[in-house]
Amino acid sequence: MKKDSILYTVVFSFIVTFLFVFLLAVANESTSGIVQRNQELARQKAVLSAMAVPFKTDEEVRTLYGSIEIVEKEGVKLFKGTQAGKLVYAKEFSGSGLWGTITGILAVDESVSQIVGIQIVSHNETPGLGGRVADPWFKEQFRGLKVKNGKIQVTYGSEAGSGKANKEEGIADGITGASRTSQSMDTILNSELSVLKKLLGGTK
Amino acid sequence: MTAKDLKKISRENLWFNNPIFIQILGICSTLAVTNLLTNTLIMTLGVTFAAAFSNLTIAFMKEWIPRKVRMIVQVLIISFYVIIVDILLRAFLPEISKSLGPYVGLIITNCILMGRAEAFAQSNSPLPAFWDGLTSGIGYMWVLMAIAFVREFLGFGTLFGIPVAPSWFPQWTIMVMAPSAFFLVALLLWFAKNRMTGGKA
Repeated sequence: MKKDSILYTVVFSFIVTFLFVFLLAVANESTSGIVQRNQELARQKAVLSAMAVPFKTDEEVRTLYGSIEIVEKEGVKLFKGTQAGKLVYAKEFSGSGLWGTITGILAVDESVSQIVGIQIVSHNETPGLGGRVADPWFKEQFRGLKVKNGKIQVTYGSEAGSGKANKEEGIADGITGASRTSQSMDTILNSELSVLKKLLGGTK
Repeated sequence: MTAKDLKKISRENLWFNNPIFIQILGICSTLAVTNLLTNTLIMTLGVTFAAAFSNLTIAFMKEWIPRKVRMIVQVLIISFYVIIVDILLRAFLPEISKSLGPYVGLIITNCILMGRAEAFAQSNSPLPAFWDGLTSGIGYMWVLMAIAFVREFLGFGTLFGIPVAPSWFPQWTIMVMAPSAFFLVALLLWFAKNRMTGGKA
């Protein structure tokens, strides 16, 4: 068969493509278990740290996560746990950031009067800029952040880093150089808070 | 291919024909990933691995690849190794994989890989091709690491995420953003060209 004939080209391309894709499928299949475990563990860690439950090892994560109850209210899945003797509710959130979807966990107290914590599970924001939503300094700001009139505020634009942030007033600092991401977090968290308020408002 | 030839290849790729300095290839990723040393290291290791092994594979297969489809086959082989890197990162280094996000997949479009495949692997035997891919990757790595060193230090006051600058040190936000990589690449190019030509431009 001539190397430049159509038949050879088609057969060659088919075999080569099949071979490499097959190898990739094998590699993907053999690691999918580990990847899934990693993702599940990351999710459990996110729920726990949003609820401000301290943990050290992966083993601890599994046992602590076991004590968290999953309740459904009006078709919405909520995580119910206790932290320092108080009831804490957490909800998974997702919303659009600058480049893609930002997903995470938002934990609030029973009366939705303050945020217990937030945790980012996945995002596609610019590394080093918007990607800092997953940085500890950003997330720590939401620990005990008061919800004022059902709202919080994440500053952005020229207000970010201006010293306006205030836990009692429900204002968190945005990320310098990432106005769109900060703005998205503001929108996402506020809409989640109103959902949580609606769901938990009647259970007092 | 003698040891002398291999040495010549590495000298070319690391300095005299450096992918960044002379070929001006792979600039997009130079701008995108160089604000943190850890990300840069993992990313450039990925590029080095993919360049070395795709060159090796292409050099092995070159006799059977029809000319008409050779570039498609090259891209296929490059994608194969890049996706392997991506799978390995997701399974064993989930944190790094998370922070690199889409950049790992984008190694496929890094011009250095395609450039080396077409310019070297297609017409050389497997071992030198492997060496060429490896040293091209390292040539790319050291320049990016140098840029990332400056950007992370000035931009965050840290190195590999460890704080090293004193607390009064002002962090340069511009260094975190893509434009600073332009300035640094240009300065490095200037410096490198100057060294190579001995100041006679």
